[in-house]
Amino acid sequence: MASSTIVESLRKQIASCEAQLKDLRRQLAEAEHYQQQQREQDSLHQTTAAYSDPFTHDMSYGIHDDFRSEVFAALSHVEVGSPSRKWPLDKTEYKRYGRQLIMPEIGLQGQLCLKEASVLIVGVGGLGCPAAAYLVGSGVGTVGLIDGDIVEESNLHRQVLHSTASVGMSKVDSARVALNSLNPNVRLVAHPSRLTSESAISILQDYDVVLDCTDTPASRYLISDACVLLGKPLVSASALRTDGQLMVLNYPPRPVGDPSGGPCYRCVFPKPPPAESVVSCGDGGILGPVVGVMGVLQALEAIKLLTRQTNEVFRHVEPKPADPPTLLIFSAYSNPMFRSIRLRNRRQKCAACSAQSSVTPEALKSGSLDYVQFCGTISPINALASNERISAENYAKIRLEVNPYTGMEPDKDSHILVDVREKVQFGLCSLEGSLNVPFSTITTTLPNLANTWHNDEIPQAQGWVTELKNHPEKPIFVICRLGNDSQLSVKKMKELGLDHSGQRWIGDIKGGLKAWRNNVDREFPEY
Amino acid sequence: MAPAKGHFTILYFAAAASFTARSTDELPAPVQACSLFAQLEERYPGITLKVLSSCAVTVNLEYIDIDEDDGLTIKEGDEVAIIPPVSSG
Ligand SMILES: [Zn+2]
Repeated sequence: MASSTIVESLRKQIASCEAQLKDLRRQLAEAEHYQQQQREQDSLHQTTAAYSDPFTHDMSYGIHDDFRSEVFAALSHVEVGSPSRKWPLDKTEYKRYGRQLIMPEIGLQGQLCLKEASVLIVGVGGLGCPAAAYLVGSGVGTVGLIDGDIVEESNLHRQVLHSTASVGMSKVDSARVALNSLNPNVRLVAHPSRLTSESAISILQDYDVVLDCTDTPASRYLISDACVLLGKPLVSASALRTDGQLMVLNYPPRPVGDPSGGPCYRCVFPKPPPAESVVSCGDGGILGPVVGVMGVLQALEAIKLLTRQTNEVFRHVEPKPADPPTLLIFSAYSNPMFRSIRLRNRRQKCAACSAQSSVTPEALKSGSLDYVQFCGTISPINALASNERISAENYAKIRLEVNPYTGMEPDKDSHILVDVREKVQFGLCSLEGSLNVPFSTITTTLPNLANTWHNDEIPQAQGWVTELKNHPEKPIFVICRLGNDSQLSVKKMKELGLDHSGQRWIGDIKGGLKAWRNNVDREFPEY
Repeated sequence: MAPAKGHFTILYFAAAASFTARSTDELPAPVQACSLFAQLEERYPGITLKVLSSCAVTVNLEYIDIDEDDGLTIKEGDEVAIIPPVSSG
């Protein structure tokens, strides 16, 4: 017990000394640079003064000071230009970063800050790809990449670092190839596995800033907790369908219990979204540029964080307190598209960053904090009894085969097939003769019309119920994309009385259209 | 766009927009912030458990705490937003 405390304390001391050393090296490089510039200017003044050229006089007085020193610098470069001359950046770096170097927000000092910095990108998908591209492009010294996934074809419309040729490759490797060809000066660190609570502290501690580019509630809480414990600023973004969110969290990164620190993810969203809202088959749509915008904004916020000091020290901008924390909401089809919400400070009873915190490094490392459980289990839904379900193969027999005993042709009219995918998905591909009743319509249909709020919407919303009631003798088969929504729909239909107190069979097709494609019709499109 | 007289605007984002199948409503003002969820539940049964319980709520672009901001009143003309956590990426 005692020895582990000593190890921990020594680790912290080393980390703090290393950070100090890093900062001193940067200061030294800058100081040397200025010293040299100063010397050269001085010697140039002397040289020019030595010539009793009549124009010297005009030169010294007729020109703006800044311009004069710039001219001197240019001249000195040509005339003095000794091979031992030491520039803080490599010659190729001046060229590569020229367009951002001449921005007052960055300048030489900002570029040196970026070069010294290390950023960890957790998740190399729709957010992580653009974020990594811009950070590597800008010359951040070290960029770490974590992801345990493989590149899939359906990733390519938005995950801009991966190419058709890299399908099947690990995302981290694919990104490394792309990023290395973009900027070989950046040191890339690969972590080709999923971030776990056991590994989070040891991986995150080596970096200055962390970007959360992941895709599950559990990983969002885990990364936030680890950043709070390690005192790292966290740039968190997310995107779904046409919406995105961006927050700079734990900034300033004050110790746990210090109310002046920036809020953490738990402060803003203390309760995770219900697990079933994450499982639903209807979820998962995303527009490439929507997630792209959010990833690019993460890179921007990271650059602002890393070069912030520069602006205060070298541009003589008043050191001001960090911007108040905000939650930026992006909604691509709303007007306005962006809304900036002012957040509060740390929550007094926050489980992670307040004085009442229950999240400790030990709990994280030992794995005793179960993030997956905290966010609800995402096990497959099993809501129906076995006699309420039919396999895709058996349903195919009903649809496609001649009855061996009666010789009757298969008849699609003998039953009703209800496809509960949303309208757009139904429009992509569907089984012949199926009736589309979107899951969202089913779940919002009320058993009692009197409770319905939007009177104008009653006929449309209830129309499907009436339609199904019109054929009380036909069994109803319900299908969806993966076989989750179909089960919930069957339950709901029975609640609505569509089974006529058990006289009509209502059941779902196990595994949905995915099972249909895998086991019955290979030509049915996969999307 | 200002809401009708005696009303406030409520904006639904992400999962809240999916659940209500709309992006905005105009509701009668004033209303106590702590009774907002109950009113929404009446209009959209199931919304509290499935959406609201994990949402951030804002009034005029400021984060509020429904459970702890006792006595906060949503007034005529206010803009309330229901912001569920988006976790995909
Ligand atoms: Zn917190």
